[in-house]
Amino acid sequence: MHTLHIVSKPPGHTRFRECLGMAGEQDAILLTGNAVTALADSTITLPETVYALQEDLRARALEARQDSSNPITFDDMVLLTIQAQRVISW
Amino acid sequence: MPADKHTFTLVITGAPYSSQAPETALGFAHAVVGAGHAIDRVFLYGEGVHLASALTSPPSDETNWTRAWSDFLQEHSVPAVACIASALRRGLVNESEQKRYQLPSSNLAAPFEIAGLGEWVESTVQSSRVIYFHGGA
Amino acid sequence: MHTLIVIDQPPYGSWGGRESLDMAFSLAAFDQPVSLLFIDAGVLWLKRGQDPDGINQKSVERNLAAASIFGVEALLADTAACRRFGLTDDNLIGGVTRIERTGATLDQYQHVVFSG
Repeated sequence: MHTLHIVSKPPGHTRFRECLGMAGEQDAILLTGNAVTALADSTITLPETVYALQEDLRARALEARQDSSNPITFDDMVLLTIQAQRVISW
Repeated sequence: MPADKHTFTLVITGAPYSSQAPETALGFAHAVVGAGHAIDRVFLYGEGVHLASALTSPPSDETNWTRAWSDFLQEHSVPAVACIASALRRGLVNESEQKRYQLPSSNLAAPFEIAGLGEWVESTVQSSRVIYFHGGA
Repeated sequence: MHTLIVIDQPPYGSWGGRESLDMAFSLAAFDQPVSLLFIDAGVLWLKRGQDPDGINQKSVERNLAAASIFGVEALLADTAACRRFGLTDDNLIGGVTRIERTGATLDQYQHVVFSG
């Protein structure tokens, strides 16, 4: 994984759109906080490798999409930040 | 102890109650030490300095984020700094700044210290990973 | 450790952008290579003729004009955002490099940082 992009801002925020626009094919996106609502937003197309914090999904009664997102724990998040060559928080 | 031990700098720029940044950062911080890695320091910047307020008094059935962070920092001996420029603007003040500016009181919670951005620069140079926890707005 | 500090919010509505600038200047003061990138409404920071006296703030224009003197390597601006907000050679402050492929530019930096 080249870059891990961490987004905490909801899909309506310009920062969310910016991140999606700049993420590359080798990159992964991690949704935290209100950003996880993107998974419930039928108007948003997310790239292939999208992770979401499990507890943020659960809090909002949201389910990870079978095809694209992987609900992850904080332990997983630590691993992702180490595996990535660099991490950008949007 | 993992084969490759990493050192993390955690920067929090979102305030408690106006964001989840302190909560997400704390969950991450616990996982970092749990996996055997180190945290060089925690740096509060911008709105994040509000996390260091000793006057935080939420209802008893809500998490007191300042206390939760203070407990974590003290248990794991992790240094934590609130950026002086961000802090002073927003009214987060320790005793020496209180004296310097002749303010009516100070309110910085232990073990947070106040220091300049030089601490952030130094920490980011020393750590293998710098993770920012921003607010959601 | 090459750092790119990114500003995407317009000036004066909050202190986030100033805090981004402080980060950039601090890195430069410690001899760490740093550039500033303006995207989205953040490109308005680069417009000439700002006069915030009426809203009781100091102009950021002067800080940016001093950026290279303080060791900030480049002021980069996303071309599409400049177009969107009507910024041209006639009304941009000096020293700005417009970039087309902003995503590719990000890849050149080890650290890409927002202040909030």
